[in-house]
Amino acid sequence: MIVGRYQVALQPRQTRSASSAALAALLAIALALVLASALFASSEAGVLAGYRVVFSYAFFNPHGAAATAHRAVYLLLCTYAFLLPLRAGLWNIGLPGQVYAGALAAFAVPLALGMSREAAGGWPPGVVIALMALAAAASGAAVGSLAGALRARLQVNEILVTMMLNSILFWLVSFMIKEGGPLMGATAEGESFTLPAALRAPLVAGLPVTAALGAAGALLIDPVLARTALGYRIRAFGENPQAARYGGISPLALSLLVFAVGGASAGLAGYHTFAAIPGLYKIPGNYGFYGDLSFYGLITALIARGSALAAVPIAVLLAGLSLGARFAQGMLRLPFGVDYALLGLLMMTFVASHILDRFRVVWRRVPAGVLRPAAGTRRG
Amino acid sequence: MWDLLARSLEASTVFVFAALGELVNQRAGTLNVGLEGLMLFGGTAAFIAARLTASYLAALAAAVAVGTVLGLAHGFFSITLRGDQVVSGMGLWILSFGLTTYLGSPFTGPLGLPRMAGAFGLSPFVYAGVALVVVSAVVLFRTGAGLAIRSVGENPLAAEASGVPVGLTRYLCVVWGGVLGALGGAVYTLSYNPVWTYNFLMGWGFVSLALVFFSMWNPWILLAGATLFGIMWQLSLSPELVLPGVLSRYIWRTVPFAVTIPILVVISTPWFRSRWGLARPEALGRPFAPD
Repeated sequence: MIVGRYQVALQPRQTRSASSAALAALLAIALALVLASALFASSEAGVLAGYRVVFSYAFFNPHGAAATAHRAVYLLLCTYAFLLPLRAGLWNIGLPGQVYAGALAAFAVPLALGMSREAAGGWPPGVVIALMALAAAASGAAVGSLAGALRARLQVNEILVTMMLNSILFWLVSFMIKEGGPLMGATAEGESFTLPAALRAPLVAGLPVTAALGAAGALLIDPVLARTALGYRIRAFGENPQAARYGGISPLALSLLVFAVGGASAGLAGYHTFAAIPGLYKIPGNYGFYGDLSFYGLITALIARGSALAAVPIAVLLAGLSLGARFAQGMLRLPFGVDYALLGLLMMTFVASHILDRFRVVWRRVPAGVLRPAAGTRRG
Repeated sequence: MWDLLARSLEASTVFVFAALGELVNQRAGTLNVGLEGLMLFGGTAAFIAARLTASYLAALAAAVAVGTVLGLAHGFFSITLRGDQVVSGMGLWILSFGLTTYLGSPFTGPLGLPRMAGAFGLSPFVYAGVALVVVSAVVLFRTGAGLAIRSVGENPLAAEASGVPVGLTRYLCVVWGGVLGALGGAVYTLSYNPVWTYNFLMGWGFVSLALVFFSMWNPWILLAGATLFGIMWQLSLSPELVLPGVLSRYIWRTVPFAVTIPILVVISTPWFRSRWGLARPEALGRPFAPD
C-alpha cells in the first residue's frame, strides 16, 4: 500500500518478544473499550458517564466488587480449561458443557447420598462438600476426555465434538432441573433445589474456597509448562505433533491429560458458580447465561497468550467489565446484551492484535521517480 | 404427516444453504469454523431489515451484505495474512454471537410479515436450496471454474503454476461461503422460524459444519445428509408425533447432537479414511505460502 511517499507493508516477525505480546494484549483490550463506547453513546448519559457507571459498580461498590471477585474466579477456572489444551495445540470450546456437567454432578451428590433436598443430614457436611467438588471435577474431566480421546485416537475434530457436547449437556440440565427432573426444586419453578445451608462451600475472607483453586492454577500452571518434562511434552506436542510423536510422546495420553485437567477445571467452575457463590446456591432457570459467560475464559486465555499468571489481571478486568456492563445496561436503559457485545468486540480486537503480534509494519520510502507517472514518449 | 415433512424440508434448507457455502470454501482450501457466526449475523441482519422495511428483498440484501463483509474479513486474515484459520473462524463466531445479542435485542419477537408461499406449501427457499445444490455440483465437477476451485484446495502450488490465481479464487470462495452462510441464517429467521430471540441458533451452524465433513465435500451427498438431519431435527422438536410419551422432550432435543458425534467417529476411522478419505481437500486449512 502506498501512503504519500512511503510504501507500507506487513512483514512476518521472525521472533516474538514478551513485550510485543503484552503490548498487543493491552491494545486489544483498549481498542475493545474504545469500540464498546459506541454502545454507551446511544444512551442519554454519554460515553464517559457510561464507563464511570461500569467501573464504579464493578470495582468500587462493595456488592459489585464482591461479585467481580466471584466472577473472576469463575472466568479463571474456565480460562485454565481452555488454556491447557490450547498449549497442546487443541481447542476446547466445550467450556459451557463442562461447566454444566460439573454443576449437575455436584448437585447430584447430596441426593445420591440419600439426603433430603431441604436439610443436610447423615453425613458430615465437610465430607459432602468435598465430594461435591470432586464429583464436579470428575464429571467435567469425563466430558472433556471424550473429546480428547476422539481427537487423539481418530483425529475427530475436537471443535465439533466439544460443541455437540455443549448442546447435549445444555438440554440435559433442562431435563434434570425442569418438569419433574431429578434435581428440580420443591417449588417447581424450572430450577434446581437450593443447597441446604450446611452444604454451601465455606467462605474465607468473603470468597469461597474455590478461589484458592483459581490462585493455585495461576501460580502452578506456568512453571509446570515451562520447567517440567510434562510441560515440555505438552508444548512440543502443541508446536509440532508429528515431531513430538517421533520423539516418543504419546498423543493419546497427552490429549487425554490436557482435556481431562481442562475439563476438571471447567467442572469446578460449574461447582463454584452454582454451589459456592453466596446468593445463588442452585442451578437457576437461566443457567445458559452462566454457560455462555464461560467463553470469556476462552478470550482471556487467548489475550494472555496462554499464560495462566497473565490471565489473572485480564480475568479480573473482564469479570468487572461484564458485570459493570450488565449493571449499566439496567441503569442507563440500554438494550440487552452489552456484556455479550463486549465479548464479541474483545474477540475481534484480539484477532486484530494477533496480526500485530505476528507481523511488523514496515515503512519504505519510495523513490520519487517511481511515484511520478512516466511521461509519454513521442515518436519522431 | 405432510406438515411434518414440509417443516423438515424447511429445516433441511437452512442446513443446505449454510453447509453448501462452507463446502465450496473448503473445496478451495479455506476452513471457516465460524459458520454459526455467519448464520447468526446474517439471520439477525435479515430480520432487522425485514422489520424496518417490511421487504423480504431488503432482508436478503442485508444478509448478502453482511455475509460478504464477514467472508472478506475471514479471507483477509486467513488468505492475505496467512493467519490461523481456526482463530479467525472462532473470532467470527464469538464476535457475531456478542454483537447480534445486543443489536437484535430491541427486535426480540415475531417478524410479523406474511409468510412467503411457494408451490406445495413449501417456501421458495426450499426450491432455491435444491437449485443451488445442482448448480454447485455442475460448477464444481463439470466446469473449468470448478476445476480451478478444486485445484487450489488440493495443490495450490500446482494450480498457480498452471495459471490459476490462488488468492483470488480462495477469496471468491470464502466470500461465497460467507454469503451462503448468512443466507442460511436469513432462511431461518425469515422463513423457518420467524421469531428473533437471543442466540436463536443454538448449534445449527456447528451441525452444518459437521455436515460438510459427512458429505465428503460432495453437494449431492450434502443434500441427502441435510434432508436426513432436517427430518431428525424436526422430530427432536416434536417427538410426540412419532413416539408420544417416550422420554422427556429435553432428552429428544439432544438427539441431533448426540447422533453427530458417532457419525464423526465413523468417518474418522481408518477403514473409512482409506476408502473415502481422499475426498478431503489436501490443502484444507493450510495457508498458501509460495515463498
